[in-house]
Amino acid sequence: MVEFATAMLAIAAAFVLFAVVALYRVFVGPTIHDRVIAVNVAGTNTVIAIALVAAAFEESTFLDVALVYALLNFLLSIAFSKFNVEHGGVL
Amino acid sequence: MSLTLLEGSLLVFVLCCALGAALLKDTMASVIAFAAYSLGISIIWLVLQAPDVGLTEAAVGAGIMTILFLIALANTVTPDVDSLFESVRWRTVALVGAFVLVMAATIPSLPAIGDPTAPVVGGEVTQYYLANAYKETQVHNAVTAVLAAYRGFDTLGEAVVVFSAGVVALSVLRREVFA
Repeated sequence: MVEFATAMLAIAAAFVLFAVVALYRVFVGPTIHDRVIAVNVAGTNTVIAIALVAAAFEESTFLDVALVYALLNFLLSIAFSKFNVEHGGVL
Repeated sequence: MSLTLLEGSLLVFVLCCALGAALLKDTMASVIAFAAYSLGISIIWLVLQAPDVGLTEAAVGAGIMTILFLIALANTVTPDVDSLFESVRWRTVALVGAFVLVMAATIPSLPAIGDPTAPVVGGEVTQYYLANAYKETQVHNAVTAVLAAYRGFDTLGEAVVVFSAGVVALSVLRREVFA
């Protein structure tokens, strides 16, 4: 029987490794859309990893950070996409 | 064991992002890699039990910095990119690598995280913060108290640096306002 916290941390590690795989798309592109979606995937993985770390450490305040990241991740993708379409017109 | 695994994969992620931000030739891709770097480093802060620092890293590193970079990109001309990565001089890589090795040589002498016998725990300064941080700053987390309240002069210095950089940029550009 594996301990609960150990399992949570192991799953979080797996999600971070998935984010590393998504980074491959950030690197090779080839278009900006691939990169935006890849960084969005990496961001979603970090949100899940933060939630799992919160469960493992039994710290509910960590979930606030996960919430902030979920919002920020969405905002980042929108900012990158709109910037790409209107080239700074939105800022 | 699995904590080590998580920390290891986080470090791999952050290292890959940092290399991407430094080496990618397309500036937009570089900014995207930098945003991903902030995402990774804030989980490291969480794993080190400093959620407030992680929150700040999220807001500043991924949020404000990215927006600032995008504004800078919008106001400058982006050159056409012919290759994926910047060309790197091997002599520079060797020099930086040697420097990193020297820095890494100090890592084994660091005390373990949470080690009660570490010299810093019994130190006078640490004990002062632990005893007086809440009384003086009304902040529950001692790390946040040091970072946000006690380090105020450091923050003032940083603000002075940013302010003078702005003033110098304006005088070099011979303009009176950022527009």
